[in-house]
Amino acid sequence: MNEEALLARATEERERIFQRYERGRDNLVGQIDPWEDPEFEDYHKTDRYGFIHDERLPQKTAPQKVNIEVEREKKWVKMLGTWDSPATQEKLHRRIYKGIPNSLRIKIWGKLLDVARLRAAHSGKYREMLTLARRWSTDVRQIDSDVNRQFREHQFYRARYSEKQCSLFHVLCAYAMYNAEVGYCQGMAGLAAVLLLYMDEEDAFWALAALLSNSKYAMHGLYIEGFPKLTRFLEHHDRILTKFMPKLKQHFDKFGLDAILYSLKWFFVCFVERVPFSLCLRVWDIYLLDGERVITAMAYTILKLHKKQIMKLNDMDLIVNYIQVKLHKDFGYPDDVVISALERSMEELKRARLDTPGPPPSKELPQRTLGVFVEPDNKSKIGQRAETFSETEKQARANVILRREKAALELQELRVSQSDTVSGNWDHSPPTSRSTSADSLDSHTWTHL
Amino acid sequence: MSVSSSRGAAARPNGAPQTKVCQFKLVLLGESAVGKSSLVLRFVKGQFHEYQESTIGAAFLTQTVCLDDTTVKFEIWDTAGQERYHSLAPMYYRGAQAAIVVYDITNQDTFGRAKNWVKELQRQASPSIVIALAGNKSDLAAKRMVETEEAQAYADENHLLFMETSAKTAVNVNDIFLAIANKLPKSESVGGGAAGGGRRLADGEPPRAGGCCK
Repeated sequence: MNEEALLARATEERERIFQRYERGRDNLVGQIDPWEDPEFEDYHKTDRYGFIHDERLPQKTAPQKVNIEVEREKKWVKMLGTWDSPATQEKLHRRIYKGIPNSLRIKIWGKLLDVARLRAAHSGKYREMLTLARRWSTDVRQIDSDVNRQFREHQFYRARYSEKQCSLFHVLCAYAMYNAEVGYCQGMAGLAAVLLLYMDEEDAFWALAALLSNSKYAMHGLYIEGFPKLTRFLEHHDRILTKFMPKLKQHFDKFGLDAILYSLKWFFVCFVERVPFSLCLRVWDIYLLDGERVITAMAYTILKLHKKQIMKLNDMDLIVNYIQVKLHKDFGYPDDVVISALERSMEELKRARLDTPGPPPSKELPQRTLGVFVEPDNKSKIGQRAETFSETEKQARANVILRREKAALELQELRVSQSDTVSGNWDHSPPTSRSTSADSLDSHTWTHL
Repeated sequence: MSVSSSRGAAARPNGAPQTKVCQFKLVLLGESAVGKSSLVLRFVKGQFHEYQESTIGAAFLTQTVCLDDTTVKFEIWDTAGQERYHSLAPMYYRGAQAAIVVYDITNQDTFGRAKNWVKELQRQASPSIVIALAGNKSDLAAKRMVETEEAQAYADENHLLFMETSAKTAVNVNDIFLAIANKLPKSESVGGGAAGGGRRLADGEPPRAGGCCK
């Protein structure tokens, strides 16, 4: 196919996808593939946040707990009336660490992210971006494919082209136009899907915008090409482990387990699908109040709370499964206990001056003015993969390799120092940590980078 | 030959002939939404989810297969398909002895992307890596856009294993992993070091996952 035909095909594809979301579920009767559209399960399987479970849920929340939440709600409603007063700001920290009542998250999250102000200050911008996306977006296919698999076990996202699925599609398409440097990156659907549980479409758009470009959260640097903020936060995470949990760090290194392998979703989507949803919401409450240092501290807290269990696992498979799957199903501690531990971790890290890796360097912040349209080039319109790596990507690759080499070297030193006491049978460790000489096999490849 | 589908303690029955145990690192690559995670889920757990969540970064799983005289443990890295994550891919295919490059038979573009991945592996990965090409979603043959013969010819030219698979109906899923297991050199040397050679586990250390070879 020549370029013209490819461009026409891309346009046709974008048009077709957009039209389906515009028509919505009710106008697509008989046109949704069966595989896209699950049966709607009974409500007794739906939890209080809207997630549908395979098995019947345990009996209702204890009456005592309900009472506490009702009492808290009253206090929060009162506090909302005097939001800007110094007294409220003083109480806010303590109350948010106790948990925002679920029925009020819709209001409080908006306040914490300053959504109303953003929305008013940029009146009409969201619609403008959405209209531009309809005409120009190059991310539609990827967004469509991710909307089709995001939170499908949640009642809002269960049915194909349901109202919330349409909102999710629109928010992501509009945001990809608004912030062309980021566009759409997998992971962002998770953020937007959580926000949309508590906000309408346009509010969720501005909330997402705040998470990416407000310096308190600065998630922009996580999602841009090369993921520079991820690298920076992983290095900091390693520093924390080395200082506070060196044995655990060695345990990970022994099995070639780089932090990137177990913690990527912690950083990218703030623990969504890595801890139970009720706990995830509590962490989000605090993240929205205190910003990125909460992620660093929560990552540390998870490992601190589960260190003993993890040290017993002698296989990369078991460790990854424990951290990524088991802890999502059952964290093993009540949410309140985890949040207290998180608060202590934050103080501990602050005392050690390890609470933050420092403010984001300018390259992690938006370079272009947000919301200003730049026409995509033909290559991205057609959607061809870049054949070569950009400088930023090369740097990211080099960083990834460096991390591995460093871990392998450290491990080798460790082995040498232990060789007197250990029988020396390391055969069951993974190839990446075997030795640096094995790594040299394809080292010729990396020198080109 | 058999593939174990259960996870749990490995059992080596008393008196059974000692089998060699080899461990291989395998990586799945391919365009977003072609079914990489679904293939792994089918192979490792025998399950299929219509709405397999999108993989952010990568996921890690293991599965063991039994050949006549060897038990092969696969350490499987399932990667994110979006182009943005491409720069992290070397983290996963580096040091891998096997790769499955996946495309969707109903989408010609994904086949083009698969070819790019093969090229990258041939240039950058270990020279002796065993590469398999999987044309997934073969249950959707009515919507086919990539002809079997076209893919087969490409695979032959590039010395790749090739199968059309369906994670949904399980067709050829175990088979492709078994074909890879058969093709991998089961080196006798303990500890290895040579690329392509599986690491043989020390005696008395059967792989934990799977209860095969019963």
